[in-house]
Amino acid sequence: MENVQLKSRIDILLKYSKKDVGLSVLGIATIMVTFILSITLGKSFFSINNFQSMMFQISEFGFLALGMSIAMLTGGIDLSIVSNAGLSGVLAAFVMSGKIIPITDSNQMFIIILAIVVAITNSILCGLVNGVLIAKISVPPIIATLGTMILFNGIGMALTNGESVGLLVDDYWKFGTSTIGVIPYIFIIMVITMILINIFLSKHKLGKQIYLIGENKIASLFSGQNTERIIIRIYMIIGFLSGIASLIMISRVNSARMGFGDTYQLQAILVAVLAGYDPNGGKGKVLGVVLGITLLQFLQSAFTILNFTPYSKKLIWGSMLLIVMIINYFLNKERKPRKVAVKEVSKK
Amino acid sequence: MDSTKQGNIKMNKRKLTDMEKYLLIIMIGYIILVSFVNPMFLSFETLFDMFRSGSGTMILALGVMIVIISGGIDVSFTSIAIIGAYCAINLMLKFNINNIYFAFLVSGSIGIFLGSINAIIIYFFKLPTLIVTLGTSSVFYGFMTTFIGTKSIPLAQMPSSLVDFGSKNILTLSSEHGNYGLSVFIIIIVILLFITWFIMQKTMLGRKIIAIGNNEEFAKRIGVNILQTKLFIYCYMGLLSGIMGIIYFSDLKIVNPVTLVGSELMIIAAVVIGGVKLTGGHGTILGTVLGVLLIQLFKSTLVFLGLSTSWNDLFIGCILIFSVCIISYKEKLRNQKELRFSNQ
Repeated sequence: MENVQLKSRIDILLKYSKKDVGLSVLGIATIMVTFILSITLGKSFFSINNFQSMMFQISEFGFLALGMSIAMLTGGIDLSIVSNAGLSGVLAAFVMSGKIIPITDSNQMFIIILAIVVAITNSILCGLVNGVLIAKISVPPIIATLGTMILFNGIGMALTNGESVGLLVDDYWKFGTSTIGVIPYIFIIMVITMILINIFLSKHKLGKQIYLIGENKIASLFSGQNTERIIIRIYMIIGFLSGIASLIMISRVNSARMGFGDTYQLQAILVAVLAGYDPNGGKGKVLGVVLGITLLQFLQSAFTILNFTPYSKKLIWGSMLLIVMIINYFLNKERKPRKVAVKEVSKK
Repeated sequence: MDSTKQGNIKMNKRKLTDMEKYLLIIMIGYIILVSFVNPMFLSFETLFDMFRSGSGTMILALGVMIVIISGGIDVSFTSIAIIGAYCAINLMLKFNINNIYFAFLVSGSIGIFLGSINAIIIYFFKLPTLIVTLGTSSVFYGFMTTFIGTKSIPLAQMPSSLVDFGSKNILTLSSEHGNYGLSVFIIIIVILLFITWFIMQKTMLGRKIIAIGNNEEFAKRIGVNILQTKLFIYCYMGLLSGIMGIIYFSDLKIVNPVTLVGSELMIIAAVVIGGVKLTGGHGTILGTVLGVLLIQLFKSTLVFLGLSTSWNDLFIGCILIFSVCIISYKEKLRNQKELRFSNQ
């Protein structure tokens, strides 16, 4: 009797450790990389300057990675986040360039707020387009967002002819580059967003519904949820995150151009997969995204310090993506027999 | 007797699919519009120019079509094309081999090899093809640029056979601007079109590819060798990429290994515009050809409308979204009518 109880307890324990095995692997990898970097690079890596520049870069990219991971949570993918951010950035830059409304000292604050509103509205609208295509018209997410990616890019290119739009508002640029102590403002914004999204996904009703939809869309439909409306909302949230990313991007370089941040596309997918998000949906945690971004940023800074070519970064990121996927495959394989039976029933 | 004969005729004559009809209508409408605005557009010169610049896209699109019909997606083909061609041309320069067939052979072999790596990873680890090929694309490309080089080869140093091949015409016409002609690339395209058509329509292999695209599990249970079929699919894609790489460089007349990569999504878009369903199992060669032609038409004719090439993406994006909406919405209505639910 006691034996049985003990056995079931051990089972539960094993189940929990296995449930988060991807996350633990990632955590161990992050610690190991940090350890190796501290030995090999020492002070040149662990300097305040280096950490500050890493924080700037992380906050620019973090929102996009977060958006991509939420898309993967639903079993979809969003290829349009970067072009959405590009288009929103260009629109905001137009407002702040003084071409539409002349800038005076007195209306600077108003123009900044207007630009932020324009960028966020546009990005949410772009997300809405994605959501409607995916939910209402049943276009597979990858192809819907491929289409909108080209479309948003096209609108931005047609507006700017591929040239960059400079900003004339000083305060905005100052906000993007200034810090509290050593910590940049934008980094604080990103940390707060991460925490909010984490609470939203784990506590809020809509957040839980996202996991359900990712796990099994038909089941969640039959359990009486309005899956179409939920998916549209999710893609609007993803669009919103792209909008914030765009605002941060233009504040960092003080101008906007289409095609800026194109390399983030692969990186965002990489971080989401690295973070333990299953491309088929239903699995993943915000903590994983945080770890994934940290790991990637540490490696990237190390590459820069070591003077590697940008191409070797590509090689290492690509290999990391494949290796993580393969490790996850082997980890999942162990507990597959139990899962297959459940899945088969739910699919029929 | 009469009715059976009629039936036979009907069977032989394939009806156009809806998508093909829409594409033809859009194309004809667009051509009429452009020639109205600018009569210069209607000439053999424009046509031949389009064939020349579209030939690379066409070749890749054939491979992408097969991959998508099999239910997968490949984004590594542009890096494979560049690697194959760049390595082949470097070898030619190193060993002083000046033979265009050698270039195709080496480039094609490298393509087949890299394609088989894709297939093996996809098959053995049962991973989503998009993510695998995203990964392998950066690995292949990163490997080449790190260990082989990124130096571009100018026209003066390029093997002469390659340059000759790029400027060879099978038909030359002259106008007041000078000579122009139908490039020799068209022969390769016709051959590849025929081979692809033959594989998809006349062989068991083609049936197997479609079966896998419709339902891999069912295909396995009726005895399709999944590994073999996938190896073929991705190796064929690799082979086509290798061929395309050589054509691309010989057309450009400069070997620059940092171009082309990044344009893979546009080619996938061309295939999807042609009505090949991304969920697999459906797609026609005619549709793919029309899709590529349509994109090529936009690429090369915006100038005639007085628009800069920056408008290119806008048009293509609109048409892409329009075409996938039609396909997907029709399917949704059908699924609703038959009470089918899918996890897509």
